[in-house]
Amino acid sequence: MSEQLSLDPISLKKETISGNLQSTMEIFNSFYSIPINSDVKVRNLLIGGLNKKASIIYISTITDSQVIENQVIKNLLLNSDDSKEVQDILSTKTIKNVEIIGDILKEINKGNVAILVDGHSIAYIIDASKFQGRSIEKAENEVSLKGPKEAFNEQAVANISLIRKKIKNESLIVEITPVSVRANNELYILYMKDLVNDELLQSVKERVNSLDVASIQNLSLLEQFIEDREKSIFPTILNTEKPDRAVAYLEDGFIILLMDNSPTSLVLPATFWSFFHLSEDNYLRILFANFIRSLRILALFITLFASATYISITNYHVEMIPTDLLLAISATREIVPFPSVIEILLMEIAFELIREAGLRVPSPIGPTIGIVGALILGQAAVQANIVSPLVVIIVALGGLSSFAIGDINMNFTIRLLRFLFIISGALFGFYGMAAVFTVILFYMLSIKTFGVPYLSPMTPKYVSSKDTVFRKLLQNQIFRPGYLKPKDMDKKAGE
Amino acid sequence: MDKTKGTIGTREFIAIIILTIGTKLADDTPSLFFSSMGSAAWMAPIIIGVTTILPVFFILKIFAIYPNKTFVEIIKEVFGKYVGFFVLFALWIFQIYALIIDSSIYTDIMGTMYFNDTPTIVIYAVLISVAAYGAKKGFEHISSYAWIIIAGVKVTALTVLVLIVLQGRPEFIFPLFGTGKWEIIKGSTSYISIFADLFYFAFIASYLKSTKVLKKGMWIGLAFITIEISTAIMSYVMLFDFNGIKLIDYPYHESIRTIQLGFIRNTESLFFPFWLIATFARFSFYFYISVLLFSTLFKISQKEFIIPILATLIVFFGMIPETPTFAIYTLRGEFLKLVTPVFLFLPFVIWVLAKLKGGSINDKKKAAE
Repeated sequence: MSEQLSLDPISLKKETISGNLQSTMEIFNSFYSIPINSDVKVRNLLIGGLNKKASIIYISTITDSQVIENQVIKNLLLNSDDSKEVQDILSTKTIKNVEIIGDILKEINKGNVAILVDGHSIAYIIDASKFQGRSIEKAENEVSLKGPKEAFNEQAVANISLIRKKIKNESLIVEITPVSVRANNELYILYMKDLVNDELLQSVKERVNSLDVASIQNLSLLEQFIEDREKSIFPTILNTEKPDRAVAYLEDGFIILLMDNSPTSLVLPATFWSFFHLSEDNYLRILFANFIRSLRILALFITLFASATYISITNYHVEMIPTDLLLAISATREIVPFPSVIEILLMEIAFELIREAGLRVPSPIGPTIGIVGALILGQAAVQANIVSPLVVIIVALGGLSSFAIGDINMNFTIRLLRFLFIISGALFGFYGMAAVFTVILFYMLSIKTFGVPYLSPMTPKYVSSKDTVFRKLLQNQIFRPGYLKPKDMDKKAGE
Repeated sequence: MDKTKGTIGTREFIAIIILTIGTKLADDTPSLFFSSMGSAAWMAPIIIGVTTILPVFFILKIFAIYPNKTFVEIIKEVFGKYVGFFVLFALWIFQIYALIIDSSIYTDIMGTMYFNDTPTIVIYAVLISVAAYGAKKGFEHISSYAWIIIAGVKVTALTVLVLIVLQGRPEFIFPLFGTGKWEIIKGSTSYISIFADLFYFAFIASYLKSTKVLKKGMWIGLAFITIEISTAIMSYVMLFDFNGIKLIDYPYHESIRTIQLGFIRNTESLFFPFWLIATFARFSFYFYISVLLFSTLFKISQKEFIIPILATLIVFFGMIPETPTFAIYTLRGEFLKLVTPVFLFLPFVIWVLAKLKGGSINDKKKAAE
């Protein structure tokens, strides 16, 4: 055995265990640095009836002590029948036989219990993991008035349970695959076997498996590893913390990724429209849903164009404003020493600062930020003749509208693009804005995520339920999105 | 997983046809007809549209003979290697000339009507840069872009039309035959080539979903632009009368300066952005076709590299005329007259040659199968 110990840890992990309990325990003791490593426990005992020595190894902080005490140790000690196998003595729900040292280590690291028996060249693995975490709470970022409120939490098992609760069908597959080498982070790939396009699934798996990273702690990090264009301003993978939304996508043939430590799920491939939509859109009655959709598209345009339009009009297209309004504007602008573009940029940056600082501020001081923001930066700036009142209105309107785009990624996109429009408007008025708009649209059209065009099904056209800017009646949403090439297009047949 | 190759559907194709040719109602094209035809100028697009049925018919016939070939391959096959090269080269020259002249006019429209103080070269450079970017992205994206913006463009155009009709005087369209019937025929047939872009759409036929899309798109597109341009010209006459309009170079832009929309006295800046995005679609397509022809002519596989060179050349050539409002107007008028017979007869010639040459090959292939 000493020769086995002399092997380096990496090749030792590939060895199988021998039947000699003492030497095997020496290996595990050295791997876990027992007794320095305080929460790795070893319990030695003599199995009743069989009269064999056994050792139980587990990490106490991530295992369920009830299971170990009542179902493992108690049964092993109290056994009196000498003809029974170890499997038959234990009353645990699962039991797995593992031989390779590395695999046993992995199981223990996951919170399972390994039982080593003298004379047996296999380890019995008992499922007993119990990680600490939050319970299921309300969704914080994707607020909805109607419809389910529960949100994903940091435990993938709980998240999968939430999804299974909504799809009671055997074709929902939960695949598990490791994504990092060192920390052994596991990724759950969820899809509907009878809907998902195999090519798409294959390309997602390939991309995930091609990662060579020591550790990917959660989905927010994984997202950046697997997206198509890392430097693009447009996001291509959707985050959602609502299981009902994830399920809606699953049932359309999308693929969902889940991971421990992520209170969210990734939906891929996401088009522009998935960032624009909310789950609420389908829960509200059609008229109300389309009303909030139109509000949202209006908010999108206001955020993008309000400030830039103000600059363009005051600098290049003055004749457009009715004379009375023009006089009113110029009266307030008269005492302001800056050109309008500086004025707008000052206020926009101030608004972004309030927003970012307000987000990071510890909650006891939170209200202070509101007072500072509203009073000092708004009213006092006007009184000090730094900005004109109209600019405050326009920037506030744009800033307020930007909150109507709920998705965090798309929200950043819109906020950043706004600055591009402001600069182009300052340089060339409407001409510059139209040019930038055209370039952005061309760019959006050229984005593909996992082979799916970003603005489909609007263009290029695919058979779908035409859920783009406005939605149709639920009764008329009879097709799954054609750009995913699902195995079953029809939402009614086959279900 | 490239799922979009050759997925341009009918709606995208019609959209780009309408934006490429339909936008001509908002430049100096209508002025071509006013000087010789007066109040009857609106008849010109209809006569041109009806005459254009012939070349379009033959273009579609050609694709019926060679359904699986690109237009470049067809031209090379029917004319042979050397004459084919010459024909394609001539077509490229026409195309790049049109691109230079038209972009020069559009720059002039922006410079004279909206941005009096901005240097021409800056306006020109922005226009061509955006067009070049669109051309680089490819025809799929240009047509998709056209489809996205067409609703906005056409709704504003319709608003303008309604406002003009409401604020103009319908009786101005009389006398119905303007300067006389013979003048109408003469004036309009000289400029049949304003619809010559339809011929260039044949070059991208291989990007379409099927030849059915080509057929449907061409006919619907032709019908739409004929009615559209004709209505627009009629509305200009209603607003300015046939004498006043002769003095105007860019009737669309003068119209949106004249009309009022409720409390907004000056509406031109409201409609200007929509005209701009349509303009970008048009020049992206023109640029794309130039690059496509140039790269096939000289067998250049990496198109990205010739785009900046062509863009720079276009800006420099387009900057040469010092008074574009007049110089280019004349240059364009003469050019259109020159191209008219080419556009009218080339499809017919190709079809005849294809019938003689390709038809038999096709039959042999069919027999072999």
